[in-house]
Amino acid sequence: MFRLASPKKLKALGVVGMNLRNVHYIARNNPRHLYLNVDDKYRTKLLCAEHEIAVPKLLGACRSQGHINELSDFFSDREQFVIKPAKGSGGKGILVIVGRDGDDYLKPSGQRISHEVLCRHTSNILSGLFSLGGKPDVALIEALVEFTDDFEGFSYEGVPDVRVIVYRGFPVLAMTRLSTHESDGKANLHQGAVGVGIDIVSGKALRAVQHDRPILQHPDTGVELSALTVPHWRRLMLLAAKGYEVSQMGYLGVDIVLDKQRGPLLLELNARPGLAIQMANGTGLRPRLDFVENCANGMNPEERVETVIQEFK
Amino acid sequence: MSVSSKHQIEILVAILICVGFGAALYKYMVLGFPLFASEKETVWQLEGKVSFIADGGPVTLNVNLPDENPHRKIVFSDLVASGFEYQEVTEQGVRLAQWSAEHAIGPQVIYTRSESYFRDSAEEVREPIEAVSLFGLTEAQDVLLQELLGELEIQRDSTSVLTVVQLLNRVGDERLAFILRDHQSVEQRNRLAAHILFEAGYTNRVVSGIYLEDKARSQPIHHFVEVQLDRSRVLFDTREVVQIPWDRVILLRQFGEPVIELFGGHNSEVSYATTKVQRAAFTSAVNLAANTENPLIDFSIYSLPLSEQNTFKLLLVIPLGALVVVILRNLVGIRTSGTFMPVLIALTFLQTSLLTGLMLFVAVVGVGLILRSYLSRLNLLLVPRIASVLVFVIIIYAAIGIMSSKMGWQAGLKVTFFPMIILSWTIERMSILWDEEGGHEVMIQGGGSLLTASLAFLLMSNPYVADTIFLYPELLLVLLAIIISIGSYSGYRLSDLLRFSPMERY
Repeated sequence: MFRLASPKKLKALGVVGMNLRNVHYIARNNPRHLYLNVDDKYRTKLLCAEHEIAVPKLLGACRSQGHINELSDFFSDREQFVIKPAKGSGGKGILVIVGRDGDDYLKPSGQRISHEVLCRHTSNILSGLFSLGGKPDVALIEALVEFTDDFEGFSYEGVPDVRVIVYRGFPVLAMTRLSTHESDGKANLHQGAVGVGIDIVSGKALRAVQHDRPILQHPDTGVELSALTVPHWRRLMLLAAKGYEVSQMGYLGVDIVLDKQRGPLLLELNARPGLAIQMANGTGLRPRLDFVENCANGMNPEERVETVIQEFK
Repeated sequence: MSVSSKHQIEILVAILICVGFGAALYKYMVLGFPLFASEKETVWQLEGKVSFIADGGPVTLNVNLPDENPHRKIVFSDLVASGFEYQEVTEQGVRLAQWSAEHAIGPQVIYTRSESYFRDSAEEVREPIEAVSLFGLTEAQDVLLQELLGELEIQRDSTSVLTVVQLLNRVGDERLAFILRDHQSVEQRNRLAAHILFEAGYTNRVVSGIYLEDKARSQPIHHFVEVQLDRSRVLFDTREVVQIPWDRVILLRQFGEPVIELFGGHNSEVSYATTKVQRAAFTSAVNLAANTENPLIDFSIYSLPLSEQNTFKLLLVIPLGALVVVILRNLVGIRTSGTFMPVLIALTFLQTSLLTGLMLFVAVVGVGLILRSYLSRLNLLLVPRIASVLVFVIIIYAAIGIMSSKMGWQAGLKVTFFPMIILSWTIERMSILWDEEGGHEVMIQGGGSLLTASLAFLLMSNPYVADTIFLYPELLLVLLAIIISIGSYSGYRLSDLLRFSPMERY
């Protein structure tokens, strides 16, 4: 099964490799001092509020071990919420609670966890278990997104999101990430979620991958993935493009979820977005990044989205 | 990365490579460094002992310095005698060691120590001998000599020289006895041999020196004849009638001058002790360069004490391990647990050997992971948790050490060479990885780390590589240039090619 692609063919397809991404795109477009804008989700939330960008509602933040004792009061009247580390990476340390059973909490898989386990998880977040470099962290408590039904059957036990690569403010590639049983309800490709490439113009599914290998059906639900269409596509693209204004990062991954009532919500930003999106789209990033590099500066988000749609129609 | 920074990298890499290789080449070509430190060479230590009785006034003592042969380099280490002022003088092309004192009385002893070694350079063409024989034979002796020579067939090769010299050893020849009558001493016979060779048409001269014999305590001075044969010069012992290879002797006198000259004293005696030493070839090169006060050597790690040099010998291979990590991570795309953890593990392998090291590593980390999985349930804060893992690691070390000792497997005791803090963090990280991404990812990263560590070990433990980098530390600049170039390499990794292979079919 060890088939190697020829570098020439990949280059012709415009596939961006890890080194090119790190040396050329990330190092050149993402200044070091701006990383906190995206690595600290608390800060991202504040910036989004400044730019009037819709995000999942922040219920509270747990900043010290002492706060943990107050958690049982805080959660006494809440059924659904998400606890996540402010400086986590790769979806690590995110705990999703979808319901209550007495004093216990229910995860999307139906697994129940006690209050003690939840407190331990929060304590782990604070002590820096999930943060980069093990630094002390803050636990954010967010409202659970009331998820749109449009993805019914496409996702298993969890919230799918849409990842858009935004280069210098221009959305260039998109995919939706569907959770699977294997990924434990998380929309993280490393953990076994399915990535479905989405046409940047229409919002329609292109191709799908799981574990970097092409698939056609959702491994758990068996639904034909090519039938997927992401609703509110234009609004979603606009939100993604605004991620540039929020973070000032030139090479950015914007993660968006679709709320039943509120529409697209900006979930988080990523300064080092992965490259699997190229396989999900069946397209290399390079031609699109080159196109953006030749575009004029100083357009507003609407104009940028329009430019992209006109170009790739 | 702007164009200028790309140019900067190119220029920097070019400079680093030029300086690194340039310095190494200079040391190799000019200073005579060997290619590998494992090369051994024979070094002869020559100890001269000069004793005399000073008369009470000013004293000057001249001793001929050993001569440099085409194949021989001489390094002086110690020529100082207390109470005497030392200087090296050259009189009529002869190098002399000169000791002088304003006042000296009674018995005096001066020691000289020198070391010489052979270099493999081709024989340099030395100016031919222009000696004329000043030996005085009576007319009658001369006639007899011509008659004797007339009986010989003389060709211009070394066998022929020996035939002529053999003449002197003929027993029972009246003519020879007549010629030898006035020249009975060893030195005079040698001079006579030189004269006969001169009459036979060989350009030659009388030289003196010492046989190089291992552990010889007091060596007398031997007399030889150096004969010019075409372009090469050959040394003959006229008493034993043999050709002497140049590496068997060290010459002290070439022009008939006295080996020792003493003013203001009497009863001077000189004797030499020779010792043969086998040692690493580069030591002589370093000594020689240090002797000429070459700044490249004076300000290098060779100027450090020997024990410190060994520390640096270990330090110098670490960049090689770092290079392996860089190549495997950025060109191949192997994932490791912790960036430079594999280098530290590889350093440990240097102490434990590869197989033992791998076994011990897997044992410690495996048992550590099992114990750590229990900690996951205990709701501990980060620092105490890692501290607990550290205690586990120590307990595992002790258990492995004691058990292997009881079972008679002494290699197990080497477990203590593993850096325990690094192992604790490795266990902690792998445990979290296991919880977060499953055992599969742990295997990938653990295997990647061990593969990287093993490859780094193989490179770092290779004696040729380690010795070369120790001999030529400036090659680290070349290594740096390679690392910097890889740092700006934006092409595909091997893992990219594997990962994106389905895209070819789109």
